[in-house]
Amino acid sequence: MSKIYDAVVIGAGPAGISASARLAEMGLQVIMLDEQQRLGGQIYRNIQQSSQKTRDDMGDDYTRGLNLALRFEKSGAACCSGASVWDIEPDGYVYFSKDHQSKQIRANYIVIATGAMERPVPFPGWNLPGVMGAGAANNLAKEAGLTPDCNVVMAGSGPLLLLEACLLIKKGVKIQAILETTPKFLSADAMLKVFSALKRIDFLKKGMKMVGDIKKSGVPHYKGITKLRALGSDKVEGVEAYNGSQRLYYPADMLLAHFGVIPNNHIYRLLGCHLDWNHEQRYWYPRTDKWGRTNFDTVFAAGDGAGVKGALAAEYKGELAALEIGHSLGIIPKYERDLMAKPIEDELAFDNHPRPFVDAVFAPVFSKDSFDDDTTICRCENIRIGDIRKAIGEGVREVNELKIVTRCGMGSCQGRMCGPAMAEITGAELALSPNEVGVLKIRPPLKPIPLGEVAEMELEGTGAGPADLFKNQSK
Amino acid sequence: MFKQETDQTKETVKVLLDGEPRELQSGVSVAAALLADGQIISRISPSSHKPCAPHCLMGVCFECQMEIDGVQQQSCIVQVKEGLKINRRLTGSKGEEK
Repeated sequence: MSKIYDAVVIGAGPAGISASARLAEMGLQVIMLDEQQRLGGQIYRNIQQSSQKTRDDMGDDYTRGLNLALRFEKSGAACCSGASVWDIEPDGYVYFSKDHQSKQIRANYIVIATGAMERPVPFPGWNLPGVMGAGAANNLAKEAGLTPDCNVVMAGSGPLLLLEACLLIKKGVKIQAILETTPKFLSADAMLKVFSALKRIDFLKKGMKMVGDIKKSGVPHYKGITKLRALGSDKVEGVEAYNGSQRLYYPADMLLAHFGVIPNNHIYRLLGCHLDWNHEQRYWYPRTDKWGRTNFDTVFAAGDGAGVKGALAAEYKGELAALEIGHSLGIIPKYERDLMAKPIEDELAFDNHPRPFVDAVFAPVFSKDSFDDDTTICRCENIRIGDIRKAIGEGVREVNELKIVTRCGMGSCQGRMCGPAMAEITGAELALSPNEVGVLKIRPPLKPIPLGEVAEMELEGTGAGPADLFKNQSK
Repeated sequence: MFKQETDQTKETVKVLLDGEPRELQSGVSVAAALLADGQIISRISPSSHKPCAPHCLMGVCFECQMEIDGVQQQSCIVQVKEGLKINRRLTGSKGEEK
């Protein structure tokens, strides 16, 4: 019989690290699984091996990860890196693949801290080589010290787009233009929310400095652009967009696109967690109580995967989940849990002051006109948006049905890149909100693995064989 | 397409890339090492038959998927190691069976 952990934590970003560390500090047996080779997630990627230059470039928001990593190491929590979780069950069984071997482990509690991903928004040419996420460029800088060394255009919306633009400007990268799809003027909603943000003058100053730095650099910067398009045959050669009726064109070897950040929620969907819809930022996130407990008693959600609030909030939420697990396991009494949680909740509230304002300023807006029939929506299966619209025209009303009819979302990424846009398009066509057209069902394996790995796996518990893992469960 | 900061450790290891011996930077992902080496194209899409390049670099998009040691894997989450057999199956490349 294999070892049963008190808790297994999935993901080694700020939420996963802080949850694991706190659990281990309470004397619990905890193992943290992560797909990457080194802890840090995306925000603190490669933090422990990073060069001084990288740390200087990225600043305090990055180097904070050093202390967190150190805390993790001191805590005695086990870390299993390079481990890709491909199935998970609410009774505590977790299946993962590492070094071409699949293993089953069991824990009393599961903390899911799988973080966020860049919102995939299809536009003409978005699948051309040379078009990358702004976050992708940021990751390459942290991981390998890579800086774009060619004509770069940046486009899209969101604070991270501007942050990355500032970083590249500072490094002397030749940015041809910054093309924001963010509206030119603040919405009334955003203006109302500025009052909460005023409690964090430090944060607003940082944002204003960012905008000031971009202005000073002289890089052409447009807001409210439409009809973004990457041009080229086998790779990106230029970027086109419209500023009102004015056509903008820039020759480019690289287009860094970014449209905000959404929870990486596949694992919650696989598990059958109840989801809620964020109307403003237009994404699904797991429904939890204040500790992060989902509809399954044993499963907790922490960090950006449970709703995008940033790295600090993720760290705090990891702590809260750990405290509640500690309490549930009888390690700490209720009053101690609450006493320890209080300062963390205060920090969380303080950190969150500017968030409603930022979310409102960068609220994505989609309509029928946002999407072009000829654009590829599903990269894996090469499905065009026109194919989706045709199926809807023929009477399809739900995304899973669309998947069956068109194959959109059936490829190796399992709808990660096309799912959100598929819901937006279906919603727009049917005059419904995207949360009224269904969510793609997710089945194991979460990531493609060789079947041989499953067959060779040692299973315990239910008396089930490997094939039972893939039964068509009514999840 | 990319330049590398000068303070990065540039230790390299030998791999077999599309059947040809090649030195790649170690300690980073296969996708990052190939991009640092100026190799942008990661695969030919089996559905559109057009070249693809890494897009998200965080394990989401599968555009950097390639055959590594005989298994189709996301090259952005596989580390460069001595002796890796990487096959992108680009047009004209020979490839190497496991």
